[in-house]
Order: sequence, then C-alpha cells, then structure tokens
Amino acid sequence: MIKLNPLTQKKLGRFRSIKRGFWSFVVLVLLYSFSIAGELFVNKRALIVSYEGNLYFPTYGDQISGKQFGLEYDYEANYRTLQKKFHQEDLGNWVIMPIVPFDPYEMDYEKDESTGFSPPSWKTGHFCGTDKTERDVFARLLYGFRIAMTFSLGYLLLTYLIAICAGSVMGYFGGKIDMLGLRLVEIWANVPFLYMVIILVSVMPGWWGVGWQVSSLLFIMVLFSWTGMTYYIRAAVYKEKARDYVSAAKVIGAGSSRIIFRHLLPNVISTLVTFAPFTIAAAISSITALDFLGYGLPPPTPSWGELLKQAVGNLKTAPWIVISTVTALVLTLTLVTFVGEAVREAFDPKKFSTYE
Amino acid sequence: MNDMKIKKFFKTLKIAFALLFLIGCENPKLKQPRENPSAQEEENLHTSNKIDRNFARELAREFGKEFAKEFARQINPSNFSLHADELPVDTNESNLITGLIDAEGEPHPLIKHCSEDVLEFYEKNADGFSILSPQQIPVNLNWQDGSNEKEFSSPDAERGGTFHAYMRDFPRTLRTIGPDANGAFRSYLLDNNAVSLTHAHPNSDGYYPGLASAWAVGGDGRTVYFRLDPNARFSDGNLVKASDYFFFFYFMRSKHIQAPWYNDFYGKDKFQKVTLYDEQTLSITFFKAKPDVVERVSIRPTPEHFYSELGGEYLTKYQWNPEPTTGAYMASPENVDKGKSVTLVRQDDWWANDKPFFRNRFNPDEIKVSVIRDNDKAFEVFLKGEIDAFGLAKTDFWYEKLGNDHPLVRNGYISKVTFFNQAPPPSYALRINSQKPPLDNLDVRIGFHHAMNFDLVLERIFRGDFVRMNTVADGFGERSNPDLKAREFSVDKAVTSFEKAGYSTRGKDGILINKKGERLSIEIMTGYKRFEDVLIVLKEEAKKAGLEIKLKVLEQTAAWKMANEKNHQVVFSAFGTFVELFPRFWEPFHSDNSYHEKGDLKYLKNGTLKSGLTTKTSTNNFTQTAVRELDHLINLYREEEDFAKITAIAHRLSQMIHDHAVWVPAWKKPWLRAGYWSWLQFPDDWGPKESTDYEEFQVFWIDSQQKKKIFEAMKEGKPISDQSSVREYKKYKK
Repeated sequence: MIKLNPLTQKKLGRFRSIKRGFWSFVVLVLLYSFSIAGELFVNKRALIVSYEGNLYFPTYGDQISGKQFGLEYDYEANYRTLQKKFHQEDLGNWVIMPIVPFDPYEMDYEKDESTGFSPPSWKTGHFCGTDKTERDVFARLLYGFRIAMTFSLGYLLLTYLIAICAGSVMGYFGGKIDMLGLRLVEIWANVPFLYMVIILVSVMPGWWGVGWQVSSLLFIMVLFSWTGMTYYIRAAVYKEKARDYVSAAKVIGAGSSRIIFRHLLPNVISTLVTFAPFTIAAAISSITALDFLGYGLPPPTPSWGELLKQAVGNLKTAPWIVISTVTALVLTLTLVTFVGEAVREAFDPKKFSTYE
Repeated sequence: MNDMKIKKFFKTLKIAFALLFLIGCENPKLKQPRENPSAQEEENLHTSNKIDRNFARELAREFGKEFAKEFARQINPSNFSLHADELPVDTNESNLITGLIDAEGEPHPLIKHCSEDVLEFYEKNADGFSILSPQQIPVNLNWQDGSNEKEFSSPDAERGGTFHAYMRDFPRTLRTIGPDANGAFRSYLLDNNAVSLTHAHPNSDGYYPGLASAWAVGGDGRTVYFRLDPNARFSDGNLVKASDYFFFFYFMRSKHIQAPWYNDFYGKDKFQKVTLYDEQTLSITFFKAKPDVVERVSIRPTPEHFYSELGGEYLTKYQWNPEPTTGAYMASPENVDKGKSVTLVRQDDWWANDKPFFRNRFNPDEIKVSVIRDNDKAFEVFLKGEIDAFGLAKTDFWYEKLGNDHPLVRNGYISKVTFFNQAPPPSYALRINSQKPPLDNLDVRIGFHHAMNFDLVLERIFRGDFVRMNTVADGFGERSNPDLKAREFSVDKAVTSFEKAGYSTRGKDGILINKKGERLSIEIMTGYKRFEDVLIVLKEEAKKAGLEIKLKVLEQTAAWKMANEKNHQVVFSAFGTFVELFPRFWEPFHSDNSYHEKGDLKYLKNGTLKSGLTTKTSTNNFTQTAVRELDHLINLYREEEDFAKITAIAHRLSQMIHDHAVWVPAWKKPWLRAGYWSWLQFPDDWGPKESTDYEEFQVFWIDSQQKKKIFEAMKEGKPISDQSSVREYKKYKK
C-alpha cells in the first residue's frame, strides 16, 4: 500500500471541503452501489417466495424451475404471474417482488396490446416505459449504468497502470530509453483507434461469453488509449527525480523500481488523480458512442448507446426513451465532471507550492 | 511535308512487311482452318488471296484496322478487299447465303460490319453462332405474339412531370455489367427500363412481346425463334439488329467485362447456339427444354454499334458513359450530379410509345434519383414532399411514423396503400450449418426449429401483418408444396428432441447440458442490424427450451463473408428471389456446393458422409447440406423437362429439406405497402399481381392538376377529398 504523504492528505481534506464536488462524489458512489446491488431492486426474480411452507430466495443463485412452484413448465418460473396466481388461490403462498419487477433482458409481452414502445406508467410498473421489444427502459438504464461504470473503472485502472509504468520508466531513466520510448508512444498513438476497435470487434470469436467479449472490448480500448497519460507521468517523474529525496534514496542504495514505486509515485499521483474523473467521463462517452455505432457490447447487453440508438430512430413514437437516457447520461457525466473539477481544484499545485 | 513523311514511313513498313509476309507464308499458324467443308475444293484457287487476307487480319490486330486497310491497299490494290462493304452485295443472293464466312472468307452480310476481334470470336465458337437462310426457318412453328394477354397499364395515364426517388448510395458506375455495376441503381437502367425480347406477363404465366414481335418454341422444346419488331430502336436512333444478339454473347463471355458470374451464366453450356436467319429473325437454343425456356432465353440486345469491340479499357471507358438503351429512360453523363443525383430522361419519341403493353407506362418525363444515405432522413424528406413515394413495409413506419391519423394522411395528401401481391418472397430464414457441432445432429436441429418462437415475433413485432413462411420454396404457385408447415414453437417438442440428442438436464442457469457437461449453446450470426429485435425475441424465448442463443450482429459484408466461408453455426439471412416459374434447389442444397469432392465421392456406401472432406466456400449452400438422396433428386430435377414432373419433384425436395431440418423458415409479406403523395396515380387494380415495388412496372403517372390542388389545400390546411387515402387492394389476396 502506498503511504500517502501529508501533502496528499491535505489535498484530500481540501477536496472534502469543496461541497459540490464532494457531494457529487457521494451521489455517484451511492448510485454505483445501488446498481451493483441492482438485482435486489430491479429484477424479474422475486426477492422471497413462500411456497408450501418453504422459503425461497431466487435473486442470486440457480434458476428455479416452474415445476418447483407447482407450475406446468420446466423453465424459469415467471414470478410476476406466480404472484398473481398465489394471490388468487389464497393458499397462504406469497411472493415479494423487487420495486421494479423486470430485468433488462425480459420482454414483457404479457398484455395483448403490447407490441413495443409502451409509454411510462405506474400501473404496468414500467416507470420509464419500454423499448421496441417491450424491455423495461429503467432496468436497462440501471444495468447499463453498472456496466458502463464498471467498464470505465476498469479502463481507468488499466490505462493508468500501463501509463504509469511506461511514463515512469521513460522519465526516470531518460536518455535513449526516453527518446525511443517516446517515439514508440507517438507511433502507437497514431494508430486510428476507432478503426482498430471496429476491426477487432468484428473478428472476436462468437463462442466467447458476454463477459469475455466485454473484457476483450475493454482490453482493445485500453490497448489504444493508454498513450495519452504517459506524457504527463513522464514529465512529472522528470521533475520529481531531480529532487533531493530521490538522490538521497539513491545514495542509500535503493533500486530503480523501489525509487519509482515507493518514492516517486506518491508524489506523482496527484497529477493522475486530477485526470481520473475526466478519464471516467471519456470512457463512459466512448463506450456509449461505440454501442451507438454498433461496435460495442454484444446484443442484447443493456447499454446506453443501444438505448440512444433506439431513441434517435423513434424520437416521435417513443420520446420516453430519449428523455430518460439523455437525462441519465447528462446526470452521470455532470456528476463526474463536478468531481473532476473539485479534484482539480483541491490538487492544484499552486495552492501548496513551496516555490512561490 | 507531312505527306512526305507518311509516304516514307509506309515505304519502310512495306519492306518490313514484305519480309514478314515471306516468312508468314511458311508459317502454318497464320493459316486459319476452313469453316465450311463444302468449300474445300475452291480453296486452292483462293489460296494466295486467303493468305493475304489472313496476314492482313493479323496485322489488323496488331496495328489497328485502319492502318491495315491502308497497307493492304498499297501492297495489293487490285484484288484485295478486307471488308465486304466495299463490294456490291446482291440482296437477293445474300438471302441464300449461309455460314458465318463464305468460301471466299467474306463474312456473311448480317455480320459484315463486325470488327475483326468480334468476327474471330464468332469463328472460333462457330458451333455457338450460326447464320442460316430464311428458308431454313421451320415452317410448322406455332408463332405467338402475346395478343391473348391483357395489358396492365391504365388508359387514363398521362405523360409528364418529374418523379423524385431516392437511393441510399451513389452508383459507382453507369455500366450495367462489371465490377460495382450490381448496385441498387441498376434497376433504373435495366430491370425497370430496358426491353428484352419478350417479358413474362406479371399477371399470368404467359408472355408479352418486347423487342420481338412474335416468338415460337421449336420442335426440340429448347430452341426459341424470335421475330424482331422492325421499329425497335436504341436511344441513339440505331435500329436493333439481329446481330446485336450475337454480340450480346461476345460481350457477356468477354473477360474484359470482369464479370465472372455473367461469363458463366451466359456460357456456352447453357446458351448453346444463336442462329440468325435474316435482319429480323433469330433463334436461341437453350441447353434444356425447360417449360420456361422462352423467358430464359429472352435476352437484351447489346448495341454493337456502340462498343464495336471490347478491350482492356472497357471498365474505365464506359464507367460514366452509359450504353444506348431500348428502354424509355435514358441516362447521360450530363444528367449526373456526382455524389448527389442521377436524372433519367424520358425519350420523347421512344419507339414503343404506342406499342401494346408499353403504352401508358413510363409516364413521368424525368426520374430524378437523389442520394439520401439515411432511411429515417429519407422518410422526413418524403414527408416534405421532396420524394414522391416511400416503402412502408416496416411496421413502425406503417403504424407509428406515418399512422392513419397523421395529418398528411388524414387530409389525404399522402396515400397509404396495401397491395396484396403474389411473388416469391425473399427467403428470410435461419440457415443451420449442418456441419458444425452440435448442429450436425438431426435431433438438435429439430429441437432448434421448435425452440424458435417465430409466432411471437410475427404477432408482436410484425403485429400479425406478416405470415410464417412454410417451405424453402414458398410463393412459386403450384410448385410450392402445399402440405408442408413450418415446425411450430413448442417447448415440449424442443426439449424432447434435445433430450434425444443427449441434452437431458438443465444447468444452473436453465440451459440444457449433456453428459459431457457441454452446454447447449448456439450462435446466430446476421448482417441485418434492423432485425436485431427479432433475434432478441428468439433468444429470450429459446431459453425456455433450455437453449442458449448467442447473437452476433455484424456489418452486412462481414456477415456475408463469414457465411460464405461457412464459419457460422446459424446464419439469419435472405436471398432475393425473382419471379421464376420454379424454385432453385441446386445452389442452396446440393452437396457439390458444400464440399469440393464431386458427386457421390463424398459418401460412404451406406450413404453417410466420409470424414475429412474439404469444405467448399463461397457458395450459396449456407446449410452445408450433403445428402445423397437429395443430390440425386436435385440432379433429376435439373434434368427434368416435363412440367408436371418438375412440380412433383419440387414438392418432394421441399419435403426432404424439411425433414433434414437445416432451414428454419421465417416470414413472408403477403403484400407490398407504400406511401406516396396523392398526385401519383395508379391503375384501378393499383398494379400487376407480381409487383414487389411501386416502381417496378412503371404504371403510375403524375397528375399535375392534383398536384396543384394538393399544394393549395396544404396552404389552407384543408383535406383534399372526403375519401380516405388509406386503401387496400385485395384482388390478388390468397
């Protein structure tokens, strides 16, 4: 664990005092946690089923066959109809459903008149309406948010990891390594990102599961976008390595990796932190854009880009999709940006510079 | 000064060629084999002359025709003539001449205008091109002229106006053959425009006359005789000549057009012989006496006077220089606004203006086709009135985006029409690659059929407007098997079938697994982004039957490539079908299109496939079907000439493919739906039975009075008439 130096701690304290950014951060964390536990709030599986004296908790875990609850079919029980059935039979069996009793994949074709694009309604339980195949827009937004956020955090982590390694090596060793490294980074940065993604996504073998496909998309995106950060790290390391404490460490006999990761990194990290929220925002935008273009997550994975695409094609027929998706997107990006601004302000070196 | 130089040049050449000539005399390669054995005796008399001519021909090829002519005149001014047109031709006698080249090596008068290269092609393929005398036309032919058929245009039609249409992409060329020519725009030049010898009547099984005023099928059942309409003209004023049909094959078989499909399709194995009798009469011999032979050999003439001959520059030279057409509309380079639009202009004095079956059609003076790359945008442009018509086949367009309560429809400015047609539908289906495990197991395939909930798709996504396709050959009238029904969605049947294949227990996520622990997971690949919703429904519903579907939605070309390489498990695709008398089975289901090993070599004695066969890529057999009995029956089907037997075999084949369970039929539209501004007028029946598109038969016209009225009504916001502009035409509803 990196020990934060007092300066960084001071900066964090300052961040906490910037109200707007701090509360945005709190809201964002809450939202993300909500989405992580999404199965408990938005799900077609019941929270608790009491059937013939036994309690069942279907939310997590194996699929429970309909036969288990006295239904005729062998596939997964439909808990909404089960709830109605139990209610009518009045035999003491009961079902507790989540607040939104739909999952992002399920098509709600139960009513005769539903042929896609049902408007929002409290009665049906579709708070944000449904999309073309009668899937709940709210469920898709929530799970889409979870995927997008997880994706962006993974993206952040991986790009920074690569950027830190490459940047500090170039900055610390300098000379020929720096020169060569920089040229390589420059060349790599010139590979057209979007084309590469399109090509690589289309050759991805189909038998991979969705998890694999999503992570490979992540790897592809990381592969072509870590270069931007290296410049900053390199510059920061260059600056820091001239400081006395580095020379002191050298004199004691510390190795290069120790100096880089134990001594330099904590001092460089503030540069990174100021960029982080904006990287997250960029990652959310680019995964949404890729999905919108059809090169992102494989269908039918819930995603904001896919929702936006449907929305744009059906602006007049289903305005609720565009309204809810754009609201969600704007809200998220605004929150992230507020956090970013606050971090930038809190970590602004001018405030704490000893050279002033 | 210049003259002097030329003379000098010729003198030098004279010497050089005289030397060559001497060597050439000794060179047997330069002597051409005689075509006509009856003229053998005369050969000696003309030897010297013949060598001269052959030699000159070689020269012509090398140095160009003009130069060779000049040269020939200089070295032998007295008895040399390269071209027959330099000789007075006795027309009476010419009627008796037969053969491509006469005894003296002169080309027949019908082809005397041909260039050296073209003549040589005919001579080389003399078994495919022949000229006989008019006396040799069989006398007992039953000539048809289509007079028993009814016209399908409206006598009320008026000429004039500009029809505005759109295309998604700008055409990359105005050629109709060769690379990039097979775009959507070509139908404006060819399919909806150009005139063939005869045309299949869109309301009956008969034909109506095009460039041929009469036609007759010969006694062998595979030769069709045509008498050309003496008025038939190309748009540049030249008459259509019988020899243009010779030239058609020279053109279609040329390597310069870079169109291997055409090279093959019009190859000598299918179109065995073209015979000219006189300026007006020709016959074409097909390789089989098929019931629809008239249609098969009804080709379009290629204007020889325009091309003269083909060379390596074909592609570039004619890229934006369209050939003269026999059709009403003409494209010309000055009417091309590169990247934006192409305007086709109606020929005012079109030769078929008053011809039955062509009159009252092709009514607008101009057709302006503009590029609009996005379909949704095109729809908005249509609503503004800048495009005259728009296809409304998609449910959301019909019901939501242009619903019956839309102000433009309510006021009658835009008409919405459902026209029930009868034509083979595009073959939307899930094609199962029977070579890829676990789909190599018949029970898995049958289970897969029962796990596909197309009923729900039809009911909800297409709102009951589409109907289920039942066989691999729907829409071919009598030839479609009437008893076959597509396998219905049934969880029980699917599960039972999967169980037979060993997938008997449900895993934690409800997906079936077999004893080896393999999950029942199958990937459906498609290039149709617009049908993603359909596949999503199928995927979710298949879970009920314990089948996991993975979706791979690719770009069209990527999907096409993947399916062509047979790398898919299941592909969702459709082939366009066109109106034909009977369906095709060889391309999509014969084993010769699955594996490289020919015929029965693929099978063991008991009929099962050998192992280690080489997959054949780039064929339409996306199902990798290879069944010996099916092969034999398809071979029989292709050989068969009797209509009743063809029908019976077609039924049997459909049944066998159904039993083999490699093709999950999806849906078909029993109608065509279109929206158009009400100034477009259509005949009383709206269109012929086989219409698949509002532009196809060009029977509509623009009512200029109505157009004015609509604009005035729009200003005032009043309805244009009390009658609803939403109409259904059920005359051809089955």
